Amino acid sequence: MSERPTAQELTEAILEFLGGEILPTIEDPRLRFRTLVAMNALSIVYRELERLPLEDDTEQCELAQRIRNGDVPPGTLARVKRDVAERLRIASPRYLETYGKTAPE
Amino acid sequence: MIAEMREALQAVLGSEPSEPKLLAGGASKEAWAVDAGGERLLVRRAAVGVIHRHTLSLADEFAVLEAAHEAGVKAPRPIAYIPDLDGREAFVMERLEGETIGRRIVRMDGLPAELPTQLADELAKIHAIPRARLAFLQEANLDRMVDELDEVGEARPAIELGLWWLREHRPPPREPVVVHGDYRIGNVVVRPHEGLVGVLDWEFAHVDEPVRDLAFALVRAWRFGVPDKRLGGIGDVEPYLDRYNDLTGLDVRAEELDYWELAGNVGWAIGCLTQMQRHLSGLDRSVELAVLGRLGAEVEYEICHLLEKVAA
Repeated sequence: MSERPTAQELTEAILEFLGGEILPTIEDPRLRFRTLVAMNALSIVYRELERLPLEDDTEQCELAQRIRNGDVPPGTLARVKRDVAERLRIASPRYLETYGKTAPE
Repeated sequence: MIAEMREALQAVLGSEPSEPKLLAGGASKEAWAVDAGGERLLVRRAAVGVIHRHTLSLADEFAVLEAAHEAGVKAPRPIAYIPDLDGREAFVMERLEGETIGRRIVRMDGLPAELPTQLADELAKIHAIPRARLAFLQEANLDRMVDELDEVGEARPAIELGLWWLREHRPPPREPVVVHGDYRIGNVVVRPHEGLVGVLDWEFAHVDEPVRDLAFALVRAWRFGVPDKRLGGIGDVEPYLDRYNDLTGLDVRAEELDYWELAGNVGWAIGCLTQMQRHLSGLDRSVELAVLGRLGAEVEYEICHLLEKVAA
């Protein structure tokens, strides 16, 4: 399943934020050092993610195109909802709880 | 920069302004709080390097605010448009006292029971602004959403399903009117007991179907964690809809509102992706925009939920 921003792109955004906006405001030398260490750790994650193969999104692309063409067989909605719930379990797991019993297992 | 800004403001306002304070929030526009001549003012100024498609320039937004004010809409009093405020365009308006943060409004002590009908009152006034008064406003339609999705180029089956359903079930078109374009909790000023005192953020104003504007406040993302109150986390839809129908003479049915609520969700799901794209393309690097790309899945889930309800 395709997901954007990728984990690597998110890591990059956080690194930019820490380096560009947070670090320049830190005056306490100890906190500054610890922030640099944290950023270094995050760059390790960034480089490690770089080596992972990209996820295959062919299936989602084909499904999206079929729906665009008006080809929506029974069961499509249930399948799409399951896929979205799967992505939400990563992106925002507590959001699913706001639907109470209607959230799929 | 602040000194230049004060000087320019003094020239326009004719009295010495206090030191401008930059307020939080608003990625596309800066907001500065300033006091001058005994008045509370807010300076809305373009942010650097940010270009939004389908949003008004500050000059046009100021003109919309003037028209709304003339029409008796509760909105900050427009004071002056400034083509060059320390290098960027800006305008000055009254700074209303009250709460604008959605999360705080839905949990406010003393939130008046009239807020839903107050929201309907102001929207009816906005929709009555003559189109000729704001002839520069563009007309929008549902096809624009497809174009925006294609520009991002991400495959999103849930959004496609929403667009497909909207194409198949389109209600008879209504006469287009001047719409606010982002009418919801979070873009209005609310005070305890008094309720709605001002409508803000006119940059998405355009010409469109009135019910689309009416239904946008129902979108779950704008209920701020109180999903059971379908109108913006603050109340029920029925008094809002009834009052709007009474004032406009339209006979908007509940199913029509359902249709446009779904359209509002589809629009915001695509909006999350276009915001993400602003980050990824380098136009406006920000964790906030990046993470919207992922949080869009919440809106996609709501699209599926609403589709299940209409299919049942």
